[in-house]
Amino acid sequence: MKVELYNYIRAAQKMNRRQMLKGSAALGAAAMMPKTALADGHSNVRAEILKIPGVGAGSPTDSDWQKVGEMCLGATKGNVAEGEFAGVELTFMGLNNQNLHNFLFRGFLKPWEAYTGAKINWIDLAQADYNARLQQSIATGTVDFDIIEMGAPFEGDVLGKGLASEMPDWVKEQIDMDDYVDYLKAPVGTWDGKTYRVSIDGDCHTFAYRKDYFGDDGIGGAEVPTTWQEINQVSKDLVGKEDPLTGLPAHGYLDPLKGWGGFGFYFLENRASAYAKHPNSPAWLFEPDTMKPMVNNPAWVQAIQDVMDLIEAGAYPTDQINADPGTTAFQQFLAGTGSMLMWWGDVGSSARTSDTSVVGDVVGFGVNPASDRVYNAQSGAWEDTRNEAPNMAYIGWGVYVMATVEGDEKKKKAAWSAAAHLGGKDLSLWASAYPSGFQPYRNSHFQFEEWEEAGYDRAYVEDYLGSNADSYNHPNAAIEPRIPGIFQYYSVAEDELAKGYAGQYGSAQETADAIAAAWEKITDQIGRDSQIAVYKASLGL
Amino acid sequence: MSTTEGDLLHTVTADNISDSRRRLGKMMVWGAAALCAGLAIWQMMFETGRVASGFETWRPVLYAYVLWAFCLCAAQVIVNGEKGKRTLFVLPAALFVISLVVFPLLFALYISFTDWNLASPNGPQPNGWDNMVQMWNDGFYWNALKNMVYYVLAVSVEYVIAFGLALLLNAQIRARKFFRVVFLLPLMLSPVAVSWMIGKSMLEVRFGPISRVIRELGFEPSFFGSPEIARFMIMAMDAWTFIPFMMIMLLAGLQALPSEVIEASKVDGASGWQSFKEVIFPLMLPVSVTAVVIRIIFKLKLADVIINVTSGGPGGATDSVTSFIFREYRDRSNVGYGTLLAMVYLVLIVIFVTLLLKLVSRWMERPA
Repeated sequence: MKVELYNYIRAAQKMNRRQMLKGSAALGAAAMMPKTALADGHSNVRAEILKIPGVGAGSPTDSDWQKVGEMCLGATKGNVAEGEFAGVELTFMGLNNQNLHNFLFRGFLKPWEAYTGAKINWIDLAQADYNARLQQSIATGTVDFDIIEMGAPFEGDVLGKGLASEMPDWVKEQIDMDDYVDYLKAPVGTWDGKTYRVSIDGDCHTFAYRKDYFGDDGIGGAEVPTTWQEINQVSKDLVGKEDPLTGLPAHGYLDPLKGWGGFGFYFLENRASAYAKHPNSPAWLFEPDTMKPMVNNPAWVQAIQDVMDLIEAGAYPTDQINADPGTTAFQQFLAGTGSMLMWWGDVGSSARTSDTSVVGDVVGFGVNPASDRVYNAQSGAWEDTRNEAPNMAYIGWGVYVMATVEGDEKKKKAAWSAAAHLGGKDLSLWASAYPSGFQPYRNSHFQFEEWEEAGYDRAYVEDYLGSNADSYNHPNAAIEPRIPGIFQYYSVAEDELAKGYAGQYGSAQETADAIAAAWEKITDQIGRDSQIAVYKASLGL
Repeated sequence: MSTTEGDLLHTVTADNISDSRRRLGKMMVWGAAALCAGLAIWQMMFETGRVASGFETWRPVLYAYVLWAFCLCAAQVIVNGEKGKRTLFVLPAALFVISLVVFPLLFALYISFTDWNLASPNGPQPNGWDNMVQMWNDGFYWNALKNMVYYVLAVSVEYVIAFGLALLLNAQIRARKFFRVVFLLPLMLSPVAVSWMIGKSMLEVRFGPISRVIRELGFEPSFFGSPEIARFMIMAMDAWTFIPFMMIMLLAGLQALPSEVIEASKVDGASGWQSFKEVIFPLMLPVSVTAVVIRIIFKLKLADVIINVTSGGPGGATDSVTSFIFREYRDRSNVGYGTLLAMVYLVLIVIFVTLLLKLVSRWMERPA
């Protein structure tokens, strides 16, 4: 769970003394139990770990992570004998964002190290350094780590080049991959039919809206818009009206019009996915046989045109041209400007805990809006059917074992055992319920009674996490291509979009054509044939 | 050479160097050079697939180079005796510069004529003049260069303000020392901090304090909405940071002026303006030119404020060459093309600064 979400839930729900005592008593009882009983009593483990440290008992610390790691060792013990990896040293590369990620992994893996006898060395990276470090390691052939925490978009760069180790079958069993939400199942995490990824996170964009704009007396209309066509209309109709909360000018949907190091392109995708992601094909960014960009087909042009129309109509706040996604979420939506937004989980969760947020009481969630019509790229024509396609932006973090361990069976087993421990079914439940930097990503994470028993407010958990679960398991989820250099494509598109939005191109079509031309150049530079092969593999074709 | 002939003044010890010693020294140098070159050629052939075996990395070649450098230094003494020791005062430093400046520059030059994209499975492949052609047709690069002209021109305004402030701080005003420190503060701030504190916070359209004041006055604030205003705001933030730098240089110049000349002009009945125009300004020209040239060089590297505040927008209106190269290099891992852009920019800067120095050289000398 993201830190902000955890804080939000704590702030949103009033935990009474009794609940708190219940949690503490259970924890006390758990502490008195013999360790083996804790580790082996699988049925109890899930309930017990959720009480560490207990909802409302402050943020977990290293000793909590170690406790959880210890209690979740049962699965490891089934496959590894005590002291089996004595003398093995592994290097783990991951992030140190918000003192989470690697910090948690250290705690989780400490009991694992004690049990197996292996030793782990750590490479901690800031998010901003991560891409460059990884790309340079790959390009210069200096992969100096055995296990890596990595986002799925980089699978093209790493798996496509044969740098990772294939997952052994015993790991698949240990981590129960069937429990993954649908979109994290193959082809995500696989390459050419082989499985490589231990998922530890899920990502998608969800719709957040202001409840006070909508309803019988709402200035935005009686119903919350569910299609992009409605959203565009509401956004235009709100021009000149007054925000019910702040008294400042009212605004509708907030598109970020400035780039964000490539990540800003996800936000145009939110619009485009409904138009362009036809259920008949997983491809919606490139044509799989030729890598010809689809970004200048009528569906994408419509998405760009929508934004241009809203600029023309004066529907955005002043200076929107200089607003990146960080601005739209944290300086606009949460601060009371605008009424609709697409973002990752952070927004809903920051609503009450952020100092600048004023919308905590009036925020609601949903899945990515649909479209009244969808473009069928295969027939080259629009179809007047309603289409919904949630955008699985970034696909979430996973743990991968590098090919550096191949040739040393003991080391390989040790690396996979560590990865499996981190992606374990029970341990991941804890990670999705407490601050960890990770979202729920297994169907078993959405058993709301478990959350309720642990002391969470069921209504909130159901509302918020429900929108995530609906997106994850959507049959027409829009999943980004895991091809090498995907963020290069996004970054150059941001530059061209910025020109388009600033009126330097004659039309949305011209802007889209410029993006397509730039994408063709990148494809040629990286190598068209290899990109086609990798793209097809990533789509599972 | 014996001590009875040649340069007796600078010779301390007598060196009787035998022929075999000379041969040994030369052998060391040529032997190490041959080893280094041989390894480099071998490794090159291995990398290009012409021989089957080779090293995993280029590191052994580097070690051979270090060995050669060491032998070269040692051989100076072995072959030339004391004269060689004198060479040793300079040679290691020269080798150091060659290793850390000249070689990387040459390597960068090579990279800039390749299609190296970090995501490409093939690594760097030479692609002739393709990058140059791409640059020639790259609207973003030319746009950034055009913006640089605006940014550099803004230095003239900064100069006027800095000169004015320097004159004020040089005058007999109250709390002079306090103001000198206060005016220097912006220079001590990192441009990244300035861009967040001012660009992203104080100028934030909705709740930034400056925006609120403007809204109170009955106007709708917009600082980065139109190209011209956005460019001006970037210039202003950059100027705010670096005017103190020019100011402090000019202030130092003012304080070093001979007071007799100024007093003489006053005795001759010159007004304040006349004294400035005819005496102070001409005397300050060398300092002024230095300050302006250094400031221009700083300005040509402008990137941090732009990257943080506008990312080059709206529509490239605030993009600088460096911020564009940053995107090309960091966001798009486009090492080959990005390096070419940087090399071309380097050449442009060298030409520009050389011409500028040539042009202003006649003002660099203080009038007699």
